[in-house]
Amino acid sequence: MFITFALITLLGALGMLLQKNVVVAGLCMVAAFFGVAGLFVLLANPVAAALQIIVYTGAIMVLVLFVIMMLSSHQEEEAAVSHPVQRWLSVALLAVLAFGAVNLVLASPGVKALAVKGAEMPQAMTLQTVGTNLFADHLLGFEVAGLVLLAAMIGAVALTKRNL
Amino acid sequence: MTGMDAIHQILNGGLQGYLVVALLLFFLGLATVLLRRTLLLQFMGVELMLNAANVVLLAFARFRGGDAQAMVFYLFIIAVAACEAAIGLALIIGLYRHRDTTDSDRAASLKQ
Repeated sequence: MFITFALITLLGALGMLLQKNVVVAGLCMVAAFFGVAGLFVLLANPVAAALQIIVYTGAIMVLVLFVIMMLSSHQEEEAAVSHPVQRWLSVALLAVLAFGAVNLVLASPGVKALAVKGAEMPQAMTLQTVGTNLFADHLLGFEVAGLVLLAAMIGAVALTKRNL
Repeated sequence: MTGMDAIHQILNGGLQGYLVVALLLFFLGLATVLLRRTLLLQFMGVELMLNAANVVLLAFARFRGGDAQAMVFYLFIIAVAACEAAIGLALIIGLYRHRDTTDSDRAASLKQ
């Protein structure tokens, strides 16, 4: 199961990186988000999986696809100036960084110990646990998050409206 | 850990498997931001990187015995991602109005 969802996630992300058509790239992104939601289910966290699907695929990606279609920028524009050296350098740098980071994770004794210690499946996360934790210990953060969302909403309207 | 052992751990969904998937997801997102020129695609790459961070957070929470604190932080990350989506797309629309382009290379100067 894990390898299936991991493959869906990574192939979706790879499709987004390589796809020429922006709308198809967006749909690849949706596949990647669904794969991540599957990974969350395997992590005994159905609440996070549901939120992932509702917020990312339901809200954010729909918004992005709307904007793509509104601006009718389905194809990537021709490069004004091509930067072949910079592009290859960034690919090489990313490959080195990714290789180093994966090696670091696989070699880390702390990660290995934690993987052994937490091997048995915990109780699945319930909405009740999340709610108790959120409202008992993090009420201020919750209110601030609401304020940030309100500010973002007003900001988005102010930025897109032609004559306020 | 020998090589075969590590591959076995990754394929069976141990903690290392989740971390490796999240790392690769992060680097694919970073590659999208660096290599693609369309602002909308770069924006999707940023979302992908945020998602990779979420995977790591919840993977560590599960292997620490189902820590509920991680879910709270996950909720905050999602809220910030939603704000970022709204503001980012508004900025892209604003840029398109002024320059008639969504190409980040063509928006290299502040002046019109």
